[in-house]
Amino acid sequence: MSTQLRPATPAQNHSGQSGRRTTPGRISRAGRFDGQHRRRRLRADALTVIAWASVAAAVALWLADGGATVINSAASAFTALGIVAGLAGMDLVLLMLLLAARIPFIDRTIGHDRALEFHRMLGKPSLYLLLAHGLLIAVGYGLAEGLDPISESVALWVLVPDMWLAYISMALFIAVVVTSLVAVRRRFPYEFWYAVHLLTYAAVGTSLPHQFSVGGLFAEGTWQRWYWLAICAATGAALLYFRIVRPVAATFRHRLTVSRVSMVAPGVVNIEMAGLQLDRLAGNGGRFFIWRFLAPGLWWHPHPFSLSAEPLAPGSKGEPALRITVRNLGRGSAQLARLRPGTKVAVEGPYGLFSTAARTREKVVMIGAGIGITPLRALLETTPFAPGDATVLLRGHSKQELYLGTEILELCQKRGARLFHLTGARAPWDDHNWLPDDAVRNGYSIASYAPDIADSDVYICGPATWAGNVISDALMAGADAEQIHHERFDW
Amino acid sequence: MKARGAVSAALAAAGILLAGWQAGAQVAESRSSVAATSAAGSGSSGSSGTGGSSATGSSASGSSGSGTSGAGSSGAAASGSAGAAATAATYDGAVVPTRFGSVQVRITVAAGAITDVTALQLTDDDRKSVQISNRAAPLLRGEVLAAQSAKVKTISGATVTSGAYLTSLQAAIDAANL
Repeated sequence: MSTQLRPATPAQNHSGQSGRRTTPGRISRAGRFDGQHRRRRLRADALTVIAWASVAAAVALWLADGGATVINSAASAFTALGIVAGLAGMDLVLLMLLLAARIPFIDRTIGHDRALEFHRMLGKPSLYLLLAHGLLIAVGYGLAEGLDPISESVALWVLVPDMWLAYISMALFIAVVVTSLVAVRRRFPYEFWYAVHLLTYAAVGTSLPHQFSVGGLFAEGTWQRWYWLAICAATGAALLYFRIVRPVAATFRHRLTVSRVSMVAPGVVNIEMAGLQLDRLAGNGGRFFIWRFLAPGLWWHPHPFSLSAEPLAPGSKGEPALRITVRNLGRGSAQLARLRPGTKVAVEGPYGLFSTAARTREKVVMIGAGIGITPLRALLETTPFAPGDATVLLRGHSKQELYLGTEILELCQKRGARLFHLTGARAPWDDHNWLPDDAVRNGYSIASYAPDIADSDVYICGPATWAGNVISDALMAGADAEQIHHERFDW
Repeated sequence: MKARGAVSAALAAAGILLAGWQAGAQVAESRSSVAATSAAGSGSSGSSGTGGSSATGSSASGSSGSGTSGAGSSGAAASGSAGAAATAATYDGAVVPTRFGSVQVRITVAAGAITDVTALQLTDDDRKSVQISNRAAPLLRGEVLAAQSAKVKTISGATVTSGAYLTSLQAAIDAANL
């Protein structure tokens, strides 16, 4: 059953829902997603432990070398603090690289955007630690030698091998973090920010020699040297494998080419792609891939888009095809409307947790706005639910903005999901709402549409501020933070 | 459940730090005993002193080291430990502090010529510095004995140690009025 376009009236409670199978909450608790949810939380805890333990281990390396026992003067205290700051800072830098390496274990556990969130959170602390490292060492060495910190810094640059590289590394780290700060990112084009970010590799690379040649901690023959070499090499290998080898292998395995580009609505196109072994990409409904269309002027621009249909949906000629739905949000997306069939496509992914892997409950609520509707369509196609356990809310200014509306209606009819179309402008005076003006005035809230929201998984995809309002509404209605699955697609 | 992750992370971190601390205490103990043996060894053989003899020498190591080699340290008097010429005298150079530890050398002068250079202290703040010092000191000693002056080239990879070594050496040479 079905689709209904009227919500329960605000005064009405759950009993007014027609066609909803009444499943007692207790049964859904012992449901099929409990195991996966428990394992995911266990993995999240394991990641937390690994991260903190690695920082502790970096400091323990120094302690185990008897570092704390030789502090007997102001100079050695400064030097010791400087060494500890350097070790912890480098460890955080390695953690940042691992968070950005798109490692499947991390992706399956906390999702791509949360991983990048943690990556951003570590940016400033690691820079501060590295700056403190440089300053404290300059002061400590200077005191030991009777020089002021500036002359000491000059002396280190000139006299100690590999130190000049460390100074360059410091400058690069500062440049990377400053350009990464959101305010700066807004002022520069994305490509510039991205290019500067690649300098991180140069920054890390130039910092490595002095770590092994200047400090006594990592002198040849110590186990500390082997540990440090191992974690640096492992991080490098993870980056190389997950960010280069795997994407290249996937591109050669699937050999995707654009087969059809069709207009869905003004400014919105479906791009269909044919290729080999597409069934291996099945079951990822809602997760995103990073696409590069290998055409002049386009090939260097990565586009993160979700599939808007399961891979095995028949394409234009009845053969398997992948499909993405794109709205011309940016300069790069606008060019995609003019893609010619036959263009080769490089693919990376899938990434993210906007999929069945994130499920924790039997019931599911999907809320999408504008182009954010398209990943919901793929999710709706495959994620398991009993008829009546799913609710779909589509939000747009007008009917035309409910992209793929007819396809979603058909899917809802087939699988037994309730569907609401929420069209119209937002109330102009209310910045905290996400519903159309008339719905707000009639007193509707999220619970009017999805009375079971407190016991459902809530998938939200749409513009950032809008999604933020939906999330706070869902939390108010009793949903737990772990039930809310949100995909940013405006980055 | 966030609490579970936080608590286990805190426990793991604390455990690792504790283990590191324990290991560090043991290393410090074994290091002082190693320093004692190396100081005694260098003192008896009379070659240039290896690092570690002086800085950690607050224990029995320092006194034993200086006890054997310090027989002729009083100055102008002839010292019998080397058993060479009759009028051998030793002169100590200045203590030169560096970022990796202090450096001080002693020269033995007989008949207006430098017959031996002994390092009383070498850069030894950490294991890497000890390693560098152990490599550089014999090379510097050889160069100095050949050139009979402090104007020799520094050892690459031991720039700081060499500089301090030669500064201290120059002070000793000045003291000997060579």
